[in-house]
Amino acid sequence: MRADNKRPRHRMSRLERKNTLVAYSFLAPNFLGFAIFTLVPVLCAIALSFFEWNGGDISKMRFVGLENYATIFNVKKVSQNGLAYFFNRVDLGIALKNTIFYTVVTVPLTIVCALALAMLLNRIRGAVMFRAVFFFPYVASMVAICVCWSFMLMKNGPINQMILALGGSFNKAWTTDSTMAIWSIILVSVWRNMGYYMVIYLAALQGVPRELMEAATVDGASKWKQFVHVTLPQLRPTTFFVSIMMIISCFKIYDVVAIMTEGGPGRSTKMLVTYIYDEAFVKVRYGQASAISMILLILVLTITVIQFRSEKKFAND
Amino acid sequence: MKKVFALVLAAVMLLSTASFSLAEENKVLTVVTWDATTTPYLTAQKEAYEASHPGVTIEYVDVASQDYGIKTTTMLEGNDTSDVFMIKEIDDIIKWQAQGFAEPLNAYVEKSGYDLSGFVGTEQNYAVDGELYAVPFRSDFWVLFYNKDLFDAAGEAYPTNDMTWDAYADLAVRMTKDGVFGTHYHTWLSAVANWTVADGVNTLADRNYDDLLYFYQLYQKLEDAGACMSYADLKASGQHYSGAFAKGNIAMMPMGYWYVSTLIGYNKDGTCNFNWGIAAVPHKDDVAAGSSFGNLTGAMINAKSANKDLAWDYISWLGGEEGAAATASVGARPAYVSETVADAMSSVAGFPTDETSKGALIPSFVGMEWPVAEKVADIKTIVNEEHTLIMAREITPEEGIAEMNERVAELFE
Repeated sequence: MRADNKRPRHRMSRLERKNTLVAYSFLAPNFLGFAIFTLVPVLCAIALSFFEWNGGDISKMRFVGLENYATIFNVKKVSQNGLAYFFNRVDLGIALKNTIFYTVVTVPLTIVCALALAMLLNRIRGAVMFRAVFFFPYVASMVAICVCWSFMLMKNGPINQMILALGGSFNKAWTTDSTMAIWSIILVSVWRNMGYYMVIYLAALQGVPRELMEAATVDGASKWKQFVHVTLPQLRPTTFFVSIMMIISCFKIYDVVAIMTEGGPGRSTKMLVTYIYDEAFVKVRYGQASAISMILLILVLTITVIQFRSEKKFAND
Repeated sequence: MKKVFALVLAAVMLLSTASFSLAEENKVLTVVTWDATTTPYLTAQKEAYEASHPGVTIEYVDVASQDYGIKTTTMLEGNDTSDVFMIKEIDDIIKWQAQGFAEPLNAYVEKSGYDLSGFVGTEQNYAVDGELYAVPFRSDFWVLFYNKDLFDAAGEAYPTNDMTWDAYADLAVRMTKDGVFGTHYHTWLSAVANWTVADGVNTLADRNYDDLLYFYQLYQKLEDAGACMSYADLKASGQHYSGAFAKGNIAMMPMGYWYVSTLIGYNKDGTCNFNWGIAAVPHKDDVAAGSSFGNLTGAMINAKSANKDLAWDYISWLGGEEGAAATASVGARPAYVSETVADAMSSVAGFPTDETSKGALIPSFVGMEWPVAEKVADIKTIVNEEHTLIMAREITPEEGIAEMNERVAELFE
């Protein structure tokens, strides 16, 4: 780069133009893909959320304004009966409640597990093998994982036997129990994803400067104090990145639910995306499905904006 | 290695040109269906049609059965031009009609003078405002399958075609011993509570579900007695009823008639080798013996097909007497009713030879599993959601039914 800077100005700008062109040409395939498969559909979905359409003849599409939103929020009944009614009786409210509960529990749990694993595997013998073992669930087929866990969580399955051996008792299949069904989904998600986030933490741990740890040791800080006051603050950007990525992916939870509980029993594991799927592809109400997608979009967008804002803060720190 | 590769390539090229030239001489009719390779009647229909219509080839487009309604709707929305779509659920054709994907058939019926009387009115389930949109070719109603060997071993008499639900429940409890389950309920709503529509008065869209209570209580009584596998475990393990009954430790199982051809196949390939029979499903005291419920399977012409006349020839054949004979030849029950067809059904190799099984072929009444009704897709979701809660014993049947009543009523406010 230094050498380039010494070259005459007109050559540099030509080179720059060439570089820019090359850069754009590398970006183009990705952007094209994004535009065709993401941007355009998103714009269409926004428009569609104001229409009534059954997926058939486009000429029969009817503009209904905010009616789809009024329907999914069940505005009439909710205004009479209050917010509790929305979260306990209306499909959208239940799906929102379940999705948020799932996210709020899964994200911290996965972070704690991933970080604990990373700390454990950071400096032990045979770490490479263990890392592979913990990463394996992330590579394995989701369907296979869910089917296996369904078996393990059966009424007389291994998990319930273990609980029994430990002195507790739970005499029901997890996936058909209204309270435990969502926990079985959380369990599988955490188990599957912790290996992936562990790898990210392992990489971050390599970046914690040795000098800091040595200084802390010299000052007589215990291992725990070193962890809390040196390691954790050093890992803060990683934790932040990991949690944002995870929150977004949690809001989009679909596969585990579709395979393990189908949203049931009743509506106890109905999530935003399973609800969208049901409205769009089972009931062919694309307008309403798009309106629900907008709620999801707004939620994910809000989180992303917070992320960008906070990233700037981190840079200023 | 290279040589082999070159040879294979050459062979592929030759084959593709060969099939291209064939396609020019032959008319190909594409038919979208499910489980094309494992469903015996589809093979029989294809062979019979091609034999009687030289120059026409039926080409099945196979779609996985559990996703059939969703996948095919997506295909149609994507301007798929396959000629014929088979119809698995009645509400699919109602949906497709509203979306403009189904070719109206009244003109074809008139032009060809097609006789609809053999369908004894069932074809009206495929009609909207007097216009027919599909032709039924299979009509499955539910019967009671039973394992004769287990009854012989227990010294109990076989189930009869005139048995009340209470008698059936007692029998199921008596048959439960030494690892044998007296009966088996698949996880579906239809296997447990759909019996209510057998009286010809109730339907699942009538907005009042109090009539389901009797059947949920009956089920829970049997589950408590250990006379059937628990719903929770069946759901968690995802066990399919076909494998469960074929295992040979289930004495009775209410199931759709389609299972007959599966069992005949199982007997042939050795998957199971016990003797089995069918009887009419039990009935409530005040409902006539031989009453059941069922579902229709039919075929429609894609409005975007380029071979509509040929497609009509095919679906009218499929529903009519010749197609019905082909369907019946492998143990499936055609929608078209006639003496010839009934004879064909009971003379299939592998079909039980006893009089009860033959008698069970002629039900006294068949209600529709799900009627064509306003908001039926929403009602289905609600009733099924509450069904899973009742079956998993998260709520009592009374609570579940109250919820069904309330939530369905809310749909119509």
